[in-house]
Amino acid sequence: MTSNAPPSGQTDYVTLVSCDGFEFKVQRSSAEIAEAIRRMLDPRTGFYEAIHNRCEFSDITGLVLEKVVEYLYYNEKNKDAKEVPDMEIPPEMTLEVLMAADFLNV
Amino acid sequence: MSGRRTGGRNIRGPHSALTDFLAANNISAAQIRADYNDRVRQAAQQNGTTNGDGTNAPEVQAEGEEVTAPAAAPAPEEPEEDEFPVVDTSRKRKRKSDGKAKEKAKKKAKKVKKGGSHDDSDFDIDRDMYKKAKKLPGQMENCEICEKRFTVTPYSKTGPDGGLLCSPCGREIAKDAKKEQKPKPNQGRKRRKAESDRLDHRVNRGTRSLVETCIDVVAKHHADVDGLGELPRSLLNKLSMIFSKKRVLNPKTLRMFLKSGLDGLELHDCANLEAEDYKLMFATIPLGESFVLKNAGQFKNETMDYMAQKSKKLQHLKLYAANLVSDKSWCNFFGLRGENLKSLQLEWMDDSFSDDTIKYMTETCPNLSRLKLKHCRKVTASSIPQIATLSNLQHLSLELTCDLPCERFIDLVSKIGANLSTLSLARFSGTDDEGLNGANDLFLEAIHNNCNKLQKLRLSYNDACSDAGFAFLFSEDWKNPPMLVVDLSSTRDIDNANPTGPEEAIGLASEGFKALMKHSGSKLRNLNISSCRHIPHKAFMDVFDPSSGAEYPELRNIDLSFCGAVDTVTVAGIFKTCPKLERLVAFGCFGVEGVVVPSGVLLIGAPKAQDEIVQVGMGGVSVDMALGGMLEKSQE
Repeated sequence: MTSNAPPSGQTDYVTLVSCDGFEFKVQRSSAEIAEAIRRMLDPRTGFYEAIHNRCEFSDITGLVLEKVVEYLYYNEKNKDAKEVPDMEIPPEMTLEVLMAADFLNV
Repeated sequence: MSGRRTGGRNIRGPHSALTDFLAANNISAAQIRADYNDRVRQAAQQNGTTNGDGTNAPEVQAEGEEVTAPAAAPAPEEPEEDEFPVVDTSRKRKRKSDGKAKEKAKKKAKKVKKGGSHDDSDFDIDRDMYKKAKKLPGQMENCEICEKRFTVTPYSKTGPDGGLLCSPCGREIAKDAKKEQKPKPNQGRKRRKAESDRLDHRVNRGTRSLVETCIDVVAKHHADVDGLGELPRSLLNKLSMIFSKKRVLNPKTLRMFLKSGLDGLELHDCANLEAEDYKLMFATIPLGESFVLKNAGQFKNETMDYMAQKSKKLQHLKLYAANLVSDKSWCNFFGLRGENLKSLQLEWMDDSFSDDTIKYMTETCPNLSRLKLKHCRKVTASSIPQIATLSNLQHLSLELTCDLPCERFIDLVSKIGANLSTLSLARFSGTDDEGLNGANDLFLEAIHNNCNKLQKLRLSYNDACSDAGFAFLFSEDWKNPPMLVVDLSSTRDIDNANPTGPEEAIGLASEGFKALMKHSGSKLRNLNISSCRHIPHKAFMDVFDPSSGAEYPELRNIDLSFCGAVDTVTVAGIFKTCPKLERLVAFGCFGVEGVVVPSGVLLIGAPKAQDEIVQVGMGGVSVDMALGGMLEKSQE
């Protein structure tokens, strides 16, 4: 497995790219809360994303991806907290966030 | 002086019921009147008018009134005075108050007419005269706190000293007030919500998933959503569940869910939908293969006929409480669509769906693999042989209210039992003394002999099957592979004359329970043995004994409510032997106390739990730690 590991190796931060070109540098531990991203970045798969530590989402806009990233951090921060209030999501973008969340499996 | 006055003034008004009441409650009109006169006199003195020695009370009043009227605001005293039949109230005053009342009424009328506009500045002149008038909306005023000049609006807040506040200061004040008020009502609601979340299987730790959060937001703003776009079916189903739960699924919100490309629709509460809405649904989803329509009270004959015509691909139908569909319409539907129909699940049919319809159904729907009839009042035992002719049936769930002779079911099991992977017979219990109705040991034997593909078995609410019968059913030579879902709840005898129960166990008890866990323990996911009162403590200890190497790797949900023998040690054993346990329901298990719940597990209903009904596993508490904690507690 180590033989075909990328030269860059596993970084602490990964890059999430939205369809309109916004890039988000996110802690790996937070990003991997999303099941889909975790699979993309799994070094055993040898996916492009895993090698370059960079996930591009051609269906998710920067605005929505920002919200998703916000949630990922929110989730990690409150992992062991009790009675965490739901994160605020502006109603007008909820449906898009919902689609993205379903796709990313968070 | 005062004695003279009261003696001299024996004025009596008409003797009313109120006077009686006041007298009975020791409230003296004379006393009140005397107080009033005192006040009037004082006011008169302040104004420098000397008034003799006040022997002539009526005069005092009249005079005092005249003088005080412009100086002191009489408003608060008014009602008190009006209540008593004081004969000598001056005309002037009367007129004045009359005028005031008229003015007030006028003002009210004006307000109504103008929709609350406040531009009539000449009202309440008299009040304006005595104290500094409050500024009206639209006028300028200096803020009481920051002294800035601002325009008064109807929403301007009143400051601590009675003046008006500008909007930033008002906001601050409102915030403070809120902070003071909030905690009390909120805490109760918060706790209530937390409990309800837990009963919804929502482990209250960490954040909820983003999908759930979004769905809640969508449901909250359901009125503003025009369409749901291209959401996948799974999300649509989740959304429709939440919409049903919040009771916002109505003709308008239904439109969101209708898209021509769908292959089905799940609506869990159709109570607000009319016949027309169903038609629209079937017209927009012509390719629908499966429909779930619960509480479909307005699902009528015409709707049924429309569905039979339009939905040519229909395979799965779940229809609850559709009582307006006649037998004729059902037969028409089976005639047209029976050929393709694979599953039919009906609940709460009171007045239609009779035995004849079932007969027609078995003739026209040969491919039926799933049949569920629950609370269908017209279905009787004579339908059982008909159901037994459905050779492709794999899932059978019945909960009927009529007397069901056991021999017919034995016959049914011997005919189609070999195919069944689900057999669910709730309340399959006889009321006669001979035990010919309902499940008994012979029936269990028939299951043992015929079924070898069962994954789910339910035989709840039965008082005829014995422990030996269950032990035989689950004995080692049963060819059936381990089952996934077993529900043997409430298999016990209830007799008011004998509250401690019969001496010889009826229903699942020691041997049956052990045999069941031995047979299915390796695959079992859900186990419901609530109210199986005869399972002894020793059986629980043997089954859930970690030291003997027992392990139930798949067991997730256990309900052992009202099993009296369960105690803390048993629960500890369950925690240890079921690594994937998610939820343990233990209502009425009074032996369970001082439990430390490992993380990820919900323990619901332990009555002696110290703080809450539901105990959620604490973060990072492993099973061993939990057991250690429990030991310490029990030693204390």
